[in-house]
Amino acid sequence: MENRTQRIFLRCALCFAGLLSLGFAHAEVDGDRPLIAPDVRPQKVNEALIDNENFEIGAFVGVMNIEDFESSLTYGARIAYHLDESLFLEGNIGFAEAGETSFEKLAGNVQLLSDEDRDYTYYNVAFGYNILPGEAFFKVPFVDQHYTVNTNFYLLAGAGATDFAGDNRFTAVFGGGYQMILKDFISLHVSVREHLYDIDVLGETKTSFNTEVRGGLSFFF
Amino acid sequence: MSAFVKQPGLWCLALLLCFGSGRLCAEWWWPGDDDAPAQQPQVQVAEPFTQWRSGPGSMYPVIHSSERGEWLTLHKRKTSWIQVTDDEGREGWVHVNDILLTKDGRGRKVQLQAPRFDDFRTRRWEAGLMMGEFDSTAVNAAYAGYWLTEQLSAELWASQILGNASEIRMANINLLHQPFSNWRVSPFFTLGFGHIFIKPKATLAQSDDRDDSTAHVGVGLRYYVTERYFLRMEVKDYKVFTKRESNEEATEWKIGLSVFF
Repeated sequence: MENRTQRIFLRCALCFAGLLSLGFAHAEVDGDRPLIAPDVRPQKVNEALIDNENFEIGAFVGVMNIEDFESSLTYGARIAYHLDESLFLEGNIGFAEAGETSFEKLAGNVQLLSDEDRDYTYYNVAFGYNILPGEAFFKVPFVDQHYTVNTNFYLLAGAGATDFAGDNRFTAVFGGGYQMILKDFISLHVSVREHLYDIDVLGETKTSFNTEVRGGLSFFF
Repeated sequence: MSAFVKQPGLWCLALLLCFGSGRLCAEWWWPGDDDAPAQQPQVQVAEPFTQWRSGPGSMYPVIHSSERGEWLTLHKRKTSWIQVTDDEGREGWVHVNDILLTKDGRGRKVQLQAPRFDDFRTRRWEAGLMMGEFDSTAVNAAYAGYWLTEQLSAELWASQILGNASEIRMANINLLHQPFSNWRVSPFFTLGFGHIFIKPKATLAQSDDRDDSTAHVGVGLRYYVTERYFLRMEVKDYKVFTKRESNEEATEWKIGLSVFF
């Protein structure tokens, strides 16, 4: 008799345990919870969380070859806005000081322009196109370390004005450059640009070709 | 020293270098990115794989692929590319369209702005640079505009006209009406007024600077290239109200590129 009662109780307990475990198992499947919680916070991802860096600001130093007036040091600032991965807009402002013409040097005590008129100031706005993006590889000497940096070869065309010899002249600009993106926020530029304008300081009006070779650093923001 | 004080350019250069070196030092001494990786949003790859490139452009080489289920940390965006890192410390760039196919920490779709051509209809601010001829003389111009309605915008212009006899600066305010705002190539009409400042060239016999009021009408065409920028060309007819016996007229045409913000 005792045995029978025990058996009934045991059976009930077994059924209950079975039901319970089934219930648990079911609950676990229902909750869709993974066994190991991931290391990621359930964060909503939207635009505001990601920093946009489409602007570039920088300074440059170089040599400006001013037609008839020697070559001289030039320096200035550049700002660029990247429209997409290839196309960008850039604005430049630069300063230089013109030297002497060969006539002034040979004739001795002759001044064609006053000191103030020799100040050469220019601005221009150009469209740039990254024609050859790529990578450059470096090996640091004596240390077994290799670096890879992203690069861009770009072409430029634009227009602006040059204030020189007392007047402001419409100036067309074209050229090309090489950019090395050293880190995500900093890049190195080397570029060559041709500045063209009409000038009549030496008598007849002629188109003057002025070559600028420069290097600079820029920062993305 | 006095040369340094007189040159605004040198000041700009000095300021820029200070700013630049400051940022560089800050990055080296206090590596901010490493301190706060948890702040950056993370997404999980939901497609079979996602390609990484070495730089923010489709012409940079593919350097890695992430499989479905891997987590990517998003850092910054340059144009349509997002810089990502993974658990193993790799670094690369993934196109925003591929990021849009991933899921966030809650298993939902990522909400980022994908490049969408239709956006030009909802944008409010625009700015552009244009070049052309004003009365057969070269002109450089810049403008900014605000869309009051889908068809009507107000614009502010600054132009520089560099001729053989004079340098002219001009400021204008105008209204622009675009009747078919949802067309990709869209014509417009414009009406405005402004002021003109004329400075004769130094090589000519001395004559005085003068300034006059102007009014203008114009027609033009806008061509939406992508979601961010469009080409614009226009012809304007200016009436210059001089202080002499007769007024002057000038025709100007320009072509340029504008950007939405």
